[in-house]
This record gives sequence, structure tokens and C-alpha cells, in this order.
Amino acid sequence: MTGFVLRRVLAAVPIGLIVTLGVFALVFAMPGDPLRELAGDKPIPAAVLAAKRAQFHLDDPFIVQYLLSMKDILTGNFGTTFAGADIAAQLQLRIPVTLKLATMGLVIQWIAGLLFGLYAGFKRNGVVDRVLLLATLFILAVPLLVVYFAAQYVFGVELKWLPVSGIAHGYPLSYLLPAVCIGLTGFAGLARLTRTSIVETANADFVKTARAKGLGEQRILWGHVLPNALLPMVTYMGVEVGGIFAGALLAESIFNLPGLGQFMFQAIKLKEGGVVVLLSTLAFVMFIAINLLVDIVYGAIDPRVRNV
Amino acid sequence: MVSFDRPTWRLFRLPALRRGSWFDVRRVSGVLGVTLGLALVLSSCGDGKGSSNGSGAGGTKSEVIALAADPLDFINPLNENSSPGIQIAQAMFAPLVATDPTTGKVVNVMADSVTPDKTSQTWTIKLKAGNSFQNGQPLTAKDYVDSWNLTAEGSNAWDNNGFFAKVEGYDALNPPTPEGATPKPTSVKTMTGLKQVDDLTFTVKLKVPFSQFGLTLQYLGLAPLPEEVRKNPDAYKRKPIGNGAYKLDGDWSAGGDIKVVKWDGYKGPNAPEADAITYRFIPNADTAYNEFLAGTVDFVDVPATKIKTFKTDAPDGWVTGVSSGANYLVMPAWDQRYKNPKLRHAFSLAIDRKALADLVGLATPSSGLISPDIDGYRADACKYCGFDVAKAKTLLAEAGGFSGPVNINYNTTSATGQLFAEAIGNMLRQNLGLEVKYTGKTGSELTELAQQRKLDGLRLGGWGHDYPSIEDYLTPMFKTTGDANFAHYSNPKLDALLAQGDAQANPETAIKLYQQAEDVALEDMPLIPLYAKQNAYLHSAKIEPRVSKFTGVQALYATFK
Repeated sequence: MTGFVLRRVLAAVPIGLIVTLGVFALVFAMPGDPLRELAGDKPIPAAVLAAKRAQFHLDDPFIVQYLLSMKDILTGNFGTTFAGADIAAQLQLRIPVTLKLATMGLVIQWIAGLLFGLYAGFKRNGVVDRVLLLATLFILAVPLLVVYFAAQYVFGVELKWLPVSGIAHGYPLSYLLPAVCIGLTGFAGLARLTRTSIVETANADFVKTARAKGLGEQRILWGHVLPNALLPMVTYMGVEVGGIFAGALLAESIFNLPGLGQFMFQAIKLKEGGVVVLLSTLAFVMFIAINLLVDIVYGAIDPRVRNV
Repeated sequence: MVSFDRPTWRLFRLPALRRGSWFDVRRVSGVLGVTLGLALVLSSCGDGKGSSNGSGAGGTKSEVIALAADPLDFINPLNENSSPGIQIAQAMFAPLVATDPTTGKVVNVMADSVTPDKTSQTWTIKLKAGNSFQNGQPLTAKDYVDSWNLTAEGSNAWDNNGFFAKVEGYDALNPPTPEGATPKPTSVKTMTGLKQVDDLTFTVKLKVPFSQFGLTLQYLGLAPLPEEVRKNPDAYKRKPIGNGAYKLDGDWSAGGDIKVVKWDGYKGPNAPEADAITYRFIPNADTAYNEFLAGTVDFVDVPATKIKTFKTDAPDGWVTGVSSGANYLVMPAWDQRYKNPKLRHAFSLAIDRKALADLVGLATPSSGLISPDIDGYRADACKYCGFDVAKAKTLLAEAGGFSGPVNINYNTTSATGQLFAEAIGNMLRQNLGLEVKYTGKTGSELTELAQQRKLDGLRLGGWGHDYPSIEDYLTPMFKTTGDANFAHYSNPKLDALLAQGDAQANPETAIKLYQQAEDVALEDMPLIPLYAKQNAYLHSAKIEPRVSKFTGVQALYATFK
């Protein structure tokens, strides 16, 4: 087990380098000069421009800029953003926000997805199954932006049940609306996968055997169908944890939550390669950790894929 | 070059335009908002109830002002020229002089007198006695001189460094630096042009005469910092010590709302009515707008996406005001095909400005190069800004026609850039029979290409003044060395007229000279005037923002009901 974890962590190092280099290259390739982007059309005095360019290493070649960024990340010396914000302080402020939003969103997504998926799978072609099919189709078809703004308008502006935006009302109230939006827009995929997985497993030969042996329906479902149907679901849920960061990017921007997603959004629009790479690295580390966790969970669920 | 719907504001007055505004959430949300508007017909039925509870601590008259911008990380007016930063500075710092909202004339605030010498090259600034900083220290001439020298030192890289480029001795603090090198702190720390005369008097000697210098003193980028802040500015990033009507209320952490309360020690004029103000940062302008509709903020900018609906969303709570922003079509001086003034006049006459202004919304067709709220504006300045297709065709023929397609560049980071570019393109195509194509690029890329004289074709641009003077339209955009000379335009005659106006002590005569310069620019037409835009704002029932023809709409100076 330890060997397995070690191997995975070591394998992640080159992948991490490739990913961060790629992300940095993408930001680097974005057109326009970042300092000019920040200043708009205001002419910047040459001395000021030179001081800022030197501070952010903007005159160095691409690979040097990348290595300097990586050095900063690895040594924990994050520096400031172009606009002068202290990055370490920003992270301290923003990580909890994103974590709260992501966990709440994921919990809603998992509960709704598993509940509806399992029920629809067990009682396929029933009312719930048909309604779920339609509902998930609808949810998958509506753009996230529309959902976010519509929810904000209906529940925040018109009904006044929840805050429109910001974190002034604290946890959990301020996070509820965006988390429900993330959860509901994300649950459709999980629900459909769960349903399909259950249906497929329920039609497998070993289930027929179990039934022929005279096992009760409940025991067949919980003891035989579910454990075997779980594998694709666990994979999907793992991927979703990684993907939640992408969802937070949009949700945090619209609901004005000062989290990592909003930070990423600002950094991309200002071409702040260093910050983008730092946040990508964080996301990457999280992704690797979750994947590792998923693999370990696999082993627990299914002895056939137990890792040694 | 600035985006079409968002002129370059560099100074006071206008909320939420600068920081990151080239691709800010507002723009993106513009597109999103339109999508949503289509999807949600019901969204136009807000009822404009907007009275917030007022969350300022302690005050009976409190207001919450939404700033559709990324949160500030520090407050230092000398190192700040973004619009939200300037708005905060307006509350916490008092300028030397200010524009009177009723008369448009400059009145003294911290200054007792501002007097030029005969040539307008050396200015004597005398301060009123009895003013102090919020830490109790008296405000003296030394505070101004030292704060300005600190800002002028290039190696500090403060945002308002460029303001002092006109002062004698600036260059010694800003030596040229080889590319890629870190500028070293200079051994010279003071500009020779700045001299303290006594505790309350100092003089500023400029490199060349400049009759408008007195007007520029209202810029808050010239605010004084007290000695303890000057010694270690970083330590005071989040606990600024101002000299204005408001001070920070409690602690402020980066990224959070900024709460200010009235400071008892403020003895200057123009103190606003509010006892407490909360500035809430909401980067997404559509979200900020929704916050207003939900009644949690008292004042908000109307984003571009809501221009068509804000009057029904808040029927009793909207105001509009001049934005001093003039918008232009920019001719590339480096392309010989666009060189002939007759061709430029033809282009100008082929544009239906009325239709364009209707499309933009809250805009008025331009008839000159400067904004209507500026002293020296003439409604009939431009001879070629009407809509006359027949004359346009004749002029184009006289100019020898135009070969090849006209390329119109637009800013892809603006929600409306492409729409407006295509509207103008269609007018040129239909009215002059020209072939038109369009190219989308980011704002900074357009600026960069134009500066290298590599941009193909026309582009859209806008400008807003730094200080309310006709000169601040002409010098930056049309002087050969102008720092926002988008078209790379140069005419010695115009340069000479500007220099004469700069050296003229009599304001009336100076304006006449500037108007002659404007006439030269309109005849050569490096920029085709298009429209001037108004800004719209929503306010709650309990406040009435100050609306002035000269200073725009200001929630800071709101009256309470």
C-alpha cells in the first residue's frame, strides 16, 4: 500500500511539471501586455514601468519566468499580484471560502445524485425515473450562467430568501444559494450515471443467480447490486471533486464570493502567469490527492482491484 | 486604446471604471447578462424598491455604495489611479482645490490660494491654517513637498509618478533604465522645482509654462501623506491616515468592504452629509445591480447590459449624469490610404451619429472633440459631424476614393465592441459603397499594435479628462508628444497653439487658443468624433445623490431624506 502511494506521488511530479508549464505557456501566449492591461490607456512613466517589469520578471525569457514562478511556489515566497495584493494573504483569505463552497456544493450534489440515481435505478421506468430523466436533461441543457443569475434573481432579489451575493451573512447562509446551484447543476450527471450503473448491474448474471438462490430483494440490492455498481460512481465523484474548482470559478464570480475561483478569474484576465500557475498547482495537487484516494477506495470496495 | 463604451478615465469623479476594467467581470457579465435577459423575460419586472437598512456603524445617516470592481488591497491615493481607489480617496483625503458642482469653477479646499507667476511656469500654493491629518499632526507645506517627491521617485513605482513629469527636476528622479534592469533608487530624492517657503507655503516650478496647472491640483493623486506614513508606506497600506472628511471605521482587511465614518477633525469645506459610508466591492456589475434590486445597497452603477431596462427596474430611483467621456473613430496616421483629410471628412459625414447614439443608449451625438461639460465646448465646433451622404460621396470622390477593404478593429474584451464596430462599418459600406471587414483583438493588444504603428485600419477609442479642462482633451490626444496620441497625429501648428495656450495666464484667452487648436484637429481629423456617453446610476429612496453638470453623479455627496 505504502509503495503504491509512493509510486503515485512520484509519478505525479513530472505530470505536475508538464501541467504547470502548459498552463504558464497558455497565459504567456495570451495577447497583450499585462501591465498595460492593468493600466488601461494611462501612460505609464518609463521608470515606473521598468520597476514593475523587473519586479515581476516580465522581461525575462519564458522559461526563466516559469522557473522563477515555480521557485516562488516551492519556497512559499508568493510575492504580490500586479495590483499589489499580497498573494499569501489572499490564499489565506480565499482557501476557506472555496473549501466551504465546494464541500457544500459536493454534499448537495452527491446526496441528490445518489438518492435519485439509486431510486430511479431500482424502480426503473417508474414515475421518478421518467421525471428524473426529463429533469436531468433540462438541467444539463441550461447554461450554468443562466441558472446562476436566475437563481440570484428569484431567490435573492424577488423572494429575498437568501443573500444575493457576498459572504457578509457568513456560513452557511451566504454559501447556500451558490452551493445549491453547483449541487443541482452537477447532480444530473451523477444521477444518470448511478441509474445506468444500477440498471446494468441489476441485469447481470450474478444477480439472476442470486435471485434464483432465493435471496430477498433488499439483500440483492444492498449486498450484490450496489457494491458492484459503485465503481463507476466513485470514479465520477472523484473527477467531480477536481472539477468543482472549475465550477467555483464561475459561481464565485457571479455570487461575489472571494474564493480561489474568483482569484483565478482575476489572474487570468490580468495575465498574471505566476498566480495562475500557483492556483493551477494547488488544483493539481488536490486532483492528484483525490485520485489517489479514489484508487484506495476502489480497493476497499472491490478486492479485485486492490492495490499493492 | 480604450474600448468603445468605456472611455479612459484617469481621474476623479467616475465610479468603478478602472482597475482591471479592460476585461473585467462587468464586460463578461455583459454578455452573460444579455443571454440571461433573453432567457428570463421576467427579469425586467423589478420594482425598484431599494431602501437599505443602512449598515454604517453609529451614524444615523448611513449609506452603502456598491463598487463594481475588484476589492482594493491598499489605500494610498499617491499610488492609485483606479476609479474605486479614487472614490475611496475622495472620502478620506481632501484635495488642494475642487470643482464647484454648481458653478463649475475651481474653489479652494486645503489651499488658501493658488497663484501662478506671469508666465504660468511657477506656481505658489498657500495652505489654509488649522488643518490636520487624522493622526492629529498639522497639515503643512512640507507634507505636500515630501509626499510629492516620494511619488516622483521612479524606483518606488507608484502609480501617480507620471503626474509630476511636468515639474522641474523630475527627470533626475527618473533616469532611463536599461531594459530588464531594476531601477535603482536615485541619489537625488527631491525635485528642484518643489520648494517649501514656510510652514504653509510652497512653490512648484514647472519645466515649461502651463496655464492649466491650477486645475490639475484637484487630483487626489496629489494628496498629502503624513510623516509616519511617508517613512514606511507599506505599514500603512490598510490603515491610511487621511486629511479628509472620513476616516476608516475599525479595522479593514484586504478584500473586504471599506467602512468609513465622519472624522470630527475635518475643518475643510464641502463636508458630505453622510455620517457613515460602506463601500462594498462587487466585481460582477450585474450582481451589484441585483444587490441593489434586493435592497441591500443604496447606490449602484447601471451596467451596460441594463441600459435598456434600468428605468423600469427602479422607476423612482435612477439618475443620469455626464460622463465627460468622448468616443472616437481613430484614423491610423501610419497608413497612407487614410491620409487625405477629405477622405476622413467623407467617413465622418457618412456616419449617422444619431442612430449610433441610439444604439449605444444614453448617448448624444458628438459635434466636437471635447465633452459638452467642459469650459470651451462649442456645439458647432465640427463642420463635418453632420450626416450628409451626398457630400460624403463627393468628398470621397475628390479624395480619389479608397482602395481595398476598410478594416475596423474592435476590442474583444468589450461586450459591445463588435456591435458598435459593425454599426459603423455598415454605415460606411452602405453610404460610401466601401468594402468593410472587422478584426477583434484584446484592448491591450490593439494599443500595443497601434503604438508600434502596425495596426491595420480603424479602431474605436474613448477619452475622459484627468482635470476639467479643454486642454486635457487636446494635449494628450493631439499634441505630437501627447501621451494618449492614439492616431500618432502631428501638426506643428496645433502644437504651437497648445504651447501658446499653456503659457497664457488669462483663462479666457487660453481657452480661445485651445479652441483654435481644436479647429486644427477637426480639420485634419485624426479622430472622428462619434458620441458622448452618459452614465446611469440607481439610488435607494433614502438618499438623493448629488448630480452636477460639472462633477457628475456622486453618492459620496448624497443628501438624506
